[in-house]
Amino acid sequence: MRDTDNPRLLALTSSALLLPAYTPVANADAPPEVAEAGIRYSKYQEDDLSRNKVILGSNERYDIDIYQAHLLTPIADDWSFALDVQREHMSGASPWFVGETADGGAAVFMSGASISDTRTYVGTTTRYYMPRGNAGLQLGYSDEDDYRSKSIGLDGAWNNSDNSRTWSGAVSYADDDISPTQGTIPTNVEDEQKDTASAWFGMTQILSQTALVRLGLSYSVSNGYLSDPYKLLDQRPDRRSRTTASASWRKFLIAPDAALHIDYRYYSDNWDIDSHTLRGEWHQTLGRFSLVPYVRYYSQSEADFFSVIADPAQRYFSDDYRLSSFGAVTLGARLVASMNNWRVTVAGERYRSDNSWSLYGGEEAPALVDFWRATLALDYRFE
Amino acid sequence: MPFRTEHRFKAMGGPCTVFIDSHTPLHTSVLLGLEAEIGRLEQKYSRYRTDSLLSTINAAAGQPAPIAIDPETAGLCAYLDQLYQQSRGRFDATSGILRRAWDFRSGTVPAASAVEALLPLIDWPSVEWDDHGIRLPRPGMELDLGGLVKEYAVDCGIRYLAEQGVQHALLDMAGDLAALGPQGDGLPWSVAITHPRSPGSSCATLPMTNLRLASSGDYERCMIIDGVRYSHHLNPTTGLPVRGLIAASVQGEQCMVAGSVATVAMLAPDRESALTWLRESGLPWCAVDSELQVHGPLGTPDTRASAGK
Repeated sequence: MRDTDNPRLLALTSSALLLPAYTPVANADAPPEVAEAGIRYSKYQEDDLSRNKVILGSNERYDIDIYQAHLLTPIADDWSFALDVQREHMSGASPWFVGETADGGAAVFMSGASISDTRTYVGTTTRYYMPRGNAGLQLGYSDEDDYRSKSIGLDGAWNNSDNSRTWSGAVSYADDDISPTQGTIPTNVEDEQKDTASAWFGMTQILSQTALVRLGLSYSVSNGYLSDPYKLLDQRPDRRSRTTASASWRKFLIAPDAALHIDYRYYSDNWDIDSHTLRGEWHQTLGRFSLVPYVRYYSQSEADFFSVIADPAQRYFSDDYRLSSFGAVTLGARLVASMNNWRVTVAGERYRSDNSWSLYGGEEAPALVDFWRATLALDYRFE
Repeated sequence: MPFRTEHRFKAMGGPCTVFIDSHTPLHTSVLLGLEAEIGRLEQKYSRYRTDSLLSTINAAAGQPAPIAIDPETAGLCAYLDQLYQQSRGRFDATSGILRRAWDFRSGTVPAASAVEALLPLIDWPSVEWDDHGIRLPRPGMELDLGGLVKEYAVDCGIRYLAEQGVQHALLDMAGDLAALGPQGDGLPWSVAITHPRSPGSSCATLPMTNLRLASSGDYERCMIIDGVRYSHHLNPTTGLPVRGLIAASVQGEQCMVAGSVATVAMLAPDRESALTWLRESGLPWCAVDSELQVHGPLGTPDTRASAGK
């Protein structure tokens, strides 16, 4: 917007900036003014598999109830503290392995209908605010019957002098213990470990009074036991490195009092999976309400060791549908109502996936998932 | 963002309005502090107050000893010097003395000799100033910050609000205005540029987040004698009213810089040199010429602005 190469403007601006009125204001990046708390309930429900895709076991899949609580509060002048607690209850069946049907096709042996698990997560974020940016420390602990994860992360954001550009970055590390329950499904492992290190770097640039763009690049590497212990035929490499590049564009539209968000993400890993994600959101303000319909398209290629029916003669093999080639479409909307100190959010989305919607070639895994998700959230500001 | 505060007050001879969006009801001390900050500048730089620093400097014109100044005033002098150079003398902070000849309330054109007698007193380069003091070398010389201080006050007011933790505000001082952040809901503030011949209508509407907009026009003060409109913008070399633009608005990150660019455009002797100055300024602008044609990237190009009424 400003022509920084213009010598006349530069002379006037540089001269003006020597005045005390134009020195940067301390703590422009300010901690929250008041405490906020919220609770959220989500229901995630996978569609039943069609009968002809199941050889043995229930065709009912996962059903997850998710309860979340969030608290964010300022502490002292330059600090904030956030606490997140989440409890998930999961029940249903999952694909155990894929076998051949009588007519030569592929179908699923299910794990049986009695899997039930509860996961608890507790996370904290302590953040410090500086005149031109902020830095945060995250600690997380997640526990369930067969899985325990500890994580630590550091992140920071830095604004340039006129706040038109923000640089941000993060590093994190997670250490996970896997001890599968020897229940309905026999598993091959008893106690395994993995660790993941990640780094993220991003830049947000204000393009004009009504538009901004955000670019991001991330890299993570996991080492250890990366197979799924509840799948019979699953043996994956013990190292996975992932690279993601993303671009987001935000545009305010004054006349309709709305905003358009377009996000694109490219992902690639050393298991030969590439993916593209394209998401569009329309944020419409209607008085005290805000309505956000969105659509998302996702497509990935298959892992190099994936096959519809796994071949244990190979060094690495898996029939996990999540490693197959597919395309997926999500349609959703959320409605947010704000009243005094309260905010109510109602959201719902439908996800469908299909091998034929993929941008990549590859055979169809029989257990591709479709699901519904609904969310109800209530937030309060203490004033 | 449940609270919007709207506050109106008078400062520097004009109406001021401030809008502030906040999560909690705004503390009155913020509004009082804003008025006090702007009042501080009025107290210091007004030529209407005999006890102002400016009046003290002018009263000592021709005296051998300089008047002591603070870093803020020295900073403004450095800026005025830069503005004099960049405008090639068109903006001269000592030209306010021409008001002695041009009384815009009298309805009469002054005698040429009266104007010419004042010209030797218009000489910014002869002003002696440094970080600690300023001296006007000739008796009768006057320093006038009228073309600058309101815009500077807008910037100081916005800085004061930012220091108080305000994140969403719009401050309008009689047409020179500034947006601090977007509105509380994240959308930009919407600002209209008033049409110079039809105060009720606008020639452009602009979205503004963290931006300043300064406007200058001959509708502020002028006189019409025998159908000829005499602008209050006077050429410091000839002492005569200029006949270039009737209004100019400039957007920028400092209201003071945007305001100086707009004022220098108004001081241009003719339309073409005014438009060239604006085009070369490096800032977004719009201008209305004497035929009511709107120019510039902020206006609506190639449309004849209607005088309305």
